[in-house]
Amino acid sequence: MIPTNLKKTTEWRFDDILFCIASDTGSSRVWFGSSDFNVYEFDTSQEKPERTAFTGDSHESYVTGIVRVGNTLISCGYDRRMVWWDIESKHSIRRVDAHDKWIRAIVASPDRTRVTTVADDMQCKVWEVATGNLLASFSDHQSMTPHHFPSMLYAVAASPDGKWISTGDRVGHVAIWDAMSFAKVGEIETPIMYTWDPRARRHSTGGIRSLAFSPDSQFLAVGGVGKIGNIDHLDGPARLEVFRLPGGERTLELEDNKKKGLIEQIVWSPDGKWILTAGGDNNGFVTVHDADSGVLAHQDGQDGHIHAMTHDQEFSNFHAASHQRITRWSMNS
Amino acid sequence: MIPRLPLLPFESLMRLNLAALMIFAFAGSSELAASEVMELAKRIDDHINHRLAEENVQPTELVDAAGFLRRVTLDLAGRIPSTSELDAYLSADAKERKQQLVQRLIESPDFAYHQRNQLDILLLLRQEHNDQWREYLLEATRENRSWDQLFREVILPEDTLSTDPRPVAFLKRRTNDLDAMTNDTSVTWFGVNIACAKCHDHPLVSDWTQAHYYGMSAFFKRTFQTRQGFLSERFDGTTKYTNTDGEEHEADFMFLTGTKVDVPALEIDEEELKKLNEQIKTSESDEKADSPPRPEFRPRAYLVQLALADEENDFFTRNIANRVWARLFGRGIVHPLDQMHSENAPSHPELLSELASDLRESGYDLRRLIHAIVLTDAYARSMMRDSVAKAIGEASFAAAVPRPLSPRQLSLSLRIAGTGPDTLTQWQSDDWAKRRDELERQADVTARRLAIPDDGFQVSVSEALWFSNNPSIENDFLNGSNDCLVGHLKQIESNEEVADVVSKAVLSRQASDDERQAIADYLNARSERRENGLKQVVWALMSSPEFRFNY
Amino acid sequence: MNQSINRRTLLKAAGTTAIVSNMAALNVLSQPSFANELVRGDKSVLLLWLAGGASQLETWDPKPGRPTGGPFAKIRTSIPGIEISELLPKISTRLNETAIIRSLNTKIGDHGQGYELMDTGRVGEPGVQFPHLGAMIAHELGQLDSRVPDYVSMYTSTEGRRQGSAGFLGARYNPMFLTDKMIPEDIRRHEAITDVDHQDRAALRDFFAKKFVRDLASPSVSSHENAYERVHGLMACDYLFDIDRERQAMRDHYGPTQFGQQCLIARRLVEAGVPFVKVARAWWDSHGQNFETHRELCADLDQCMDALLDDLKQRGLLEKTLVITLGEFGRTPQINGSLGRDHFANAWSCTLSGCGIRGGSVFGKTDEDGQTVVEGEMNAGDLFATIFSALGIQYDKEYMVGSRPIPISDFGSEPCREVLA
Repeated sequence: MIPTNLKKTTEWRFDDILFCIASDTGSSRVWFGSSDFNVYEFDTSQEKPERTAFTGDSHESYVTGIVRVGNTLISCGYDRRMVWWDIESKHSIRRVDAHDKWIRAIVASPDRTRVTTVADDMQCKVWEVATGNLLASFSDHQSMTPHHFPSMLYAVAASPDGKWISTGDRVGHVAIWDAMSFAKVGEIETPIMYTWDPRARRHSTGGIRSLAFSPDSQFLAVGGVGKIGNIDHLDGPARLEVFRLPGGERTLELEDNKKKGLIEQIVWSPDGKWILTAGGDNNGFVTVHDADSGVLAHQDGQDGHIHAMTHDQEFSNFHAASHQRITRWSMNS
Repeated sequence: MIPRLPLLPFESLMRLNLAALMIFAFAGSSELAASEVMELAKRIDDHINHRLAEENVQPTELVDAAGFLRRVTLDLAGRIPSTSELDAYLSADAKERKQQLVQRLIESPDFAYHQRNQLDILLLLRQEHNDQWREYLLEATRENRSWDQLFREVILPEDTLSTDPRPVAFLKRRTNDLDAMTNDTSVTWFGVNIACAKCHDHPLVSDWTQAHYYGMSAFFKRTFQTRQGFLSERFDGTTKYTNTDGEEHEADFMFLTGTKVDVPALEIDEEELKKLNEQIKTSESDEKADSPPRPEFRPRAYLVQLALADEENDFFTRNIANRVWARLFGRGIVHPLDQMHSENAPSHPELLSELASDLRESGYDLRRLIHAIVLTDAYARSMMRDSVAKAIGEASFAAAVPRPLSPRQLSLSLRIAGTGPDTLTQWQSDDWAKRRDELERQADVTARRLAIPDDGFQVSVSEALWFSNNPSIENDFLNGSNDCLVGHLKQIESNEEVADVVSKAVLSRQASDDERQAIADYLNARSERRENGLKQVVWALMSSPEFRFNY
Repeated sequence: MNQSINRRTLLKAAGTTAIVSNMAALNVLSQPSFANELVRGDKSVLLLWLAGGASQLETWDPKPGRPTGGPFAKIRTSIPGIEISELLPKISTRLNETAIIRSLNTKIGDHGQGYELMDTGRVGEPGVQFPHLGAMIAHELGQLDSRVPDYVSMYTSTEGRRQGSAGFLGARYNPMFLTDKMIPEDIRRHEAITDVDHQDRAALRDFFAKKFVRDLASPSVSSHENAYERVHGLMACDYLFDIDRERQAMRDHYGPTQFGQQCLIARRLVEAGVPFVKVARAWWDSHGQNFETHRELCADLDQCMDALLDDLKQRGLLEKTLVITLGEFGRTPQINGSLGRDHFANAWSCTLSGCGIRGGSVFGKTDEDGQTVVEGEMNAGDLFATIFSALGIQYDKEYMVGSRPIPISDFGSEPCREVLA
């Protein structure tokens, strides 16, 4: 059943920018990372919830990713660090200087024993949750763009069947890796997600910002922005491409000009029948497509660019980490 | 005590105009007009000569016939003369030929084009390539539309909107910049640059205070442009300014003369005004919105009225008389042209007054004024070639001053020079109007590359490089095909004869002996690549300063 | 080449036919040892124009940890106690000849008006054409009969492209303006004419010209002569724009980007005695994705400015060359929803390096969030006064426009003595 009614129901305003969010299956707590360098806990069921900052080894720059593994949160940031936090005590338990450059994203393996990070050193690194040990570091992403500028490695995803990891970068290159051996098993190109302007402004914009495997691990969705004319702004269509694995043939190519900007987060429905994308330009959007036909099922906007979205187990409540807000979206399916 | 002008209904203005028309009609018979023009020319010379005598300055001799032909053809027709025009002039009867030449040129189709181009420079500074505007100006110059009529059409485009939307271009490009609209209007139509008086009373000129600046600005403040591109005025709006002592003042609607306008009380209530203002706001952003109604009180209409009624200072008339003079002499009677104020006296005050009153009485007939000026001795002087010249000073008009060709004069002249003399003769006897129109269009591309000369003009090295190296020069002006000058020269065997032909075609004069020799030598050294040699000779003459300037 | 050749001889030779076949000999400019032997009594300005408005928070005045600071850290530099953005690592080690000014408050946040303000040093007024900086420098430092251009401006991107003009100083001082190509237009001889004919043709032109110009006291007519006289000298300079003449190592030093190539051309021009070269790096106007954009553009600036300062220093040219980084304005401390920063002229930065500058200095302070200047506020006029003073030009000298005196720096401007050597 494709949701036709997904609406923003609540909004909590803040002064800072929230980049990443994780939620609790059991309760109504969420955790999010901020531009004020903090990791916060927040109970969304309260009338007027107050956020609580975690303490200890804090980040020294924007917190760009966060995952929950059991009673632990693991966050990553522009400070090149990963921090392990104990949820109950709200205190840090481990800190790892993980990359040479700004860490863009973190994802947990389906069995929750590992986490994978990607950073602008163009490395994909796999870590053991329990120990913080580095298990592997690999890449096939070019550190410079074809136009001789430093590149970025923005997105990473882990397939639900535990077999694959995928990474996606600034110039639209996706690599697919064996999650156990870390060997590269495939690659996909989405060059339209990279806009290089040689004439008017002579720099680039865009990039792959989100990746998500389908629940059956047979498809990979790639999200970013389409070609932008005026690269001073995020003034381009939100762009989604879906590929069948392992062959890599494209099954969907969708661009949306009504709600423009970057697709920052992709969420597949548990039955694999619809795809939710969230992101924004100067504002935010949530768009739902039919996963087979690509038909637009539902779309709505919010104030504040959405950087990340999490959902509860029933897929009825979503929480978005946004520009100066946390918002809750609820669905009637 | 600064007089306040009562509200003048438009009827009165219409009557004034009609009177002017009648005077003009009376003077319409061509013989009468011709003798009146000669009279005016003589009076002009009297003024000039009077001062020369007073200061014991010896003017230069009158320029020779070929020199006069070239100068006046450039000034009236916007181009150099053709070889056949040169030959005809040199062989015509010396007593009659000057008047006949001037008459012919003024009546030629060329005259309107050149006038149009000069007005285009004055009014829009060619800052946009607005074909419709240029068409409008051409129509105006073809019918010799009076200067005050043009003034009304350009400053009050709303009045002709239903019949002709084109005159709006002057104000339209300045609607987003009140200061530019105010000062450009003041400079262009009144010869007064008051920009300095914006932030403080003018530091150097006591005539202009902040009250003057903001007084003028007030006439434009209410002007706005709808999204559809139409100009109109608001129902309310005043200007406030702060002086250097920090005191705030509200500006009156005050013309340069100090005359103020009584602003009538607004007869609509607050509610109504609010609605109107909303309508205005909508029309500014919404393309589909209707134009809002116009107010009864129209500031710009008052500006026009005040400017035309001001006979004492007469900025309006004196400005255009001065500018026409400056165009033909290279220097205004008041100089610089935008510094008409009491501390910058005209070099010949009675002359300027005479020109102004004549112009006013003629109904602002610019063609007549130009006609008279080019018949004067003062206009026909040769240049001063002497280090003593520095001591004399340009303000006496004792000698001609070399004036750079405008972009279109240069572009057109290059085309004329690059055309075969026989071909040109044919064109001029066939359908010259049609040919002239084509040439005007062809000249457009080159003209846009060139800078519009201003005071103290300097040729840029880019122009020299362009003319020296750009492939289009060869193609456009040095073409070897039959219709072209180089093609024509190819048929001539004698190198000395080539020198004579090329000198007349390009420099509009006979070659001197040493020049003939230099060209012949040059070609002799290139006998095996004669066509190239010919092109190079033509180029050398086209790129000389003699060609580049009107002297 | 073992002989000692001075610039005048070299360039005079370049203007004659004889040297045409010897253009390769001019390659010696690429060798540092030779450059030292060039007699350089004159100074130059090299303006790196950061078009669109670079963010001072991502360059010279970072505020990490503040709500307005953004994600990037600051790094130590070769100036003790001074830190700049981590996006400029190479430059951070090379600030010994640089002064950073952090306290510009120029108030105008519009591209066109900001450009006019920062390129003329004053707010314009209708009816007066103020000359742009390059024209003023060309006028002050250039030579009338120069065989090299005296004002070269490179602006290749289309966004924000503006030419700069000599205004009331006259077209003589207009820039040689390079846009689509990295070589000036019309500087190469058309193939339809041989070099000998080109020169002889000019001589024939000259013959007619001299007859006409004889004893005429007209500056306009003289300017025509002057323009044509300079043609062959300028044509002979086409090699200056040819970076293929540089060793690969040198080209690699500047890097493969277009900005790098143009900075290398700029060095060649300055080395040959061009008094003013402007290289525009457009387009910094990061209303969205400010941090991603600055990653790219700062990397470019870092590489190229570092190479340029190093190269100039190695050739002994830095003490005679003033290198400026400047834009129309800075960017807002406030970060918008697209993670961008908008126009901001209340508290921003620029740098001056080299000639007449007290290297290793920082002038002016902004508040902890970068919202206002708290110490050492400077405006455009003050910056110009400082630039002129660094070059040994009297900053309050006046040009006469008609009867009106116009000071080269705006009324009331004062140079910042703290950054002057």
